[in-house]
Amino acid sequence: MKVLVLNCGSSSVKYQLIETSIEAIEKSADRTLARGTVERIGTGSAVHTFQAAGREKVTDSSEILEHREALSDILRVLTHGEFGVIADPSEVDAVGHRMVHGGERFTASVIATPEAIRAVQDCIPLAPLHNPPNLRGYEAAKRILPDVPHALVFDTAYHQTMPPVAYLYGLPYVLYTRHGIRRYGFHGMSHRFVGWRSRVLLGRPREETRLVTCHLGNGASVCAIAHGRSVDTSLGFTPLEGLIMGTRCGDLDPGVIFHVMHAEELSEHQVTTMLNKHSGLVGISGVSNDMRELLEAEAKGHERAKLAIDMFCYRLRKYIAAFAGALGGLDAVVFTGGIGENAPEIRQRSLEGLEFMGLRLDPERNAAAVDREADISADGVTVRTLVIPTNEELIIARDTVRLVEGAEQY
Amino acid sequence: MGRSLAQKMASIGIDVTLLEVSRERADQARRDLSASLDRELAKWGITASEKKATLARITFTVDPADVAGSEMVFEAVPEDLALKQAVMLRLDALLPSEVVFVTSTSTLSVTEIAAASGRADRVVGMHFAQPVTQSRIVEIVRGTATSNETFERAVELGRMLEKTVIEVFEYPGYVVTRAILPFLNEAMHIVMEGVSSAEDVDLALRLAYEFKIGPLEYVDRVGLDTILGWMEHLFRELGDFKYRPCPLLRKMVRAGYLGRKAGRGFFEWEAGERKGRPAEAVR
Repeated sequence: MKVLVLNCGSSSVKYQLIETSIEAIEKSADRTLARGTVERIGTGSAVHTFQAAGREKVTDSSEILEHREALSDILRVLTHGEFGVIADPSEVDAVGHRMVHGGERFTASVIATPEAIRAVQDCIPLAPLHNPPNLRGYEAAKRILPDVPHALVFDTAYHQTMPPVAYLYGLPYVLYTRHGIRRYGFHGMSHRFVGWRSRVLLGRPREETRLVTCHLGNGASVCAIAHGRSVDTSLGFTPLEGLIMGTRCGDLDPGVIFHVMHAEELSEHQVTTMLNKHSGLVGISGVSNDMRELLEAEAKGHERAKLAIDMFCYRLRKYIAAFAGALGGLDAVVFTGGIGENAPEIRQRSLEGLEFMGLRLDPERNAAAVDREADISADGVTVRTLVIPTNEELIIARDTVRLVEGAEQY
Repeated sequence: MGRSLAQKMASIGIDVTLLEVSRERADQARRDLSASLDRELAKWGITASEKKATLARITFTVDPADVAGSEMVFEAVPEDLALKQAVMLRLDALLPSEVVFVTSTSTLSVTEIAAASGRADRVVGMHFAQPVTQSRIVEIVRGTATSNETFERAVELGRMLEKTVIEVFEYPGYVVTRAILPFLNEAMHIVMEGVSSAEDVDLALRLAYEFKIGPLEYVDRVGLDTILGWMEHLFRELGDFKYRPCPLLRKMVRAGYLGRKAGRGFFEWEAGERKGRPAEAVR
């Protein structure tokens, strides 16, 4: 089955065409046929980048004013005589849509129905910047490919198994019932994917595996997984909580916000932008939100770059230990995301001091594990450390196939 | 007004052509916009790349031909009926008849302005509170001939600009300007009569009614000459003494103390920021 996976932002569409099936999933024999992005939608100079598997990248610029035109252009390129990968749009068997926020309504992926779409619309107040473009992308794809099933896969759904002790805040309870104020968590597809791969690599049954998965990219979160389910995660009601991120602050005393707003005479917009775009690694270091650049600066003696990295690793270490406590024990720590997959030094610095829990890395295995799956633990440890490249698009494609075929999701 | 609107539009991704009357003013507009974005950057409200992207979406020009191809045209020339009508006439010659013209007038008649446009059904008023980048309200003003379609286009633009929209029927001063002017005027009278200093009047009213800025600072920000123009217009149109400009306002305008843009009004200003009270207040 060929599944078109779509991730629609306000002015961009990222997509992959993935060939998979129930048998292919079991053998991990899924294949990405092509991938691409359309950026600057809404302008006369939108940029469409496309790459068929094993071929050169092609880039094209044209006027693309809305998501529907972007989708038409994607199908034009996929069926292009010279660099396309399918002969006709009818070869697309299903479409899988990434949806950011499914609130409490969605605990798993679903086939898009009018009721499901209404429920996603009801979640707009929870993700005012993300759900509307996700929905616009869905509407556009539904019009262009009306005869195939469309599946909705949510960033939040995986965390819906958290218990109330993990998802409620210490606020008046009525705020939860009135406005849905609670931890939702994000990066659900990534945590779910690497959790599943970890169990395969460890050769352990779902029921007996306790994991802490660390998705470390420009946005970052930690997830505690038991019985294959998310039981706690570090991102909260919005993607601001938890770890120190590229430009986001992570955990913060809420009292600071009101003090700073008053002291600096900031508006609500300004303080929101400060916490989301000017904080975290870039805010502390004054250098960059990019871990590679920070490591280079640190090597040249930049003190605040070092401080930012130290704070990032320290916060992560606290979360790993805290979540091990929440799980009542630990079988493996898993690193994924741009930093998690490619920065051995960050992995090593984050786990320093956790030897008492049975965590210890093999320095050579750690150094060699860049952008590939690996067990980087030292020999004889009780808690293993894994590196697993994430693949959110694959999760979307597989869920779509399972929904179409009526198979169980996990 | 025009610059602030251009900044707001560009910041949400709309390509803007900013037509100025002279090269000097176009250059000044670019400098002012850049400075305004720098102030927002210093307050963490935007990022450096957003500043760059916003500026890149604005074309500063003195050639009216450059507005050709626009989907909507917004005039923000000074509050002078003859001038606004002349602009409408000029734009009509440059743009196809389906293009909507928006006038930014806060007190003049949209109907009269539209009469000169050759497309009265496609002219609508949009009155933003200042500064456009931060205010949350826009009054959308129907002229007598404004079509529903044109009105809806303006509502859509208002929402895109993240404003709450209210519908207003043509009447001098609409809602916002009409209600605030007597209040500003009274604050100036209090200062003129020596009851309290400009600083204390602002402080008292800010704290008593939870205004973000006091009335006299607001007058300074808008420009004393602009406030005087609005009041004179309402006084002429409606003949009601409650719109008679405070003599202190006239006196300060004559002295060139026009507020923020002049570096001095009720307060002293430097690079767009308030410094404090002038050494000696005008009485």
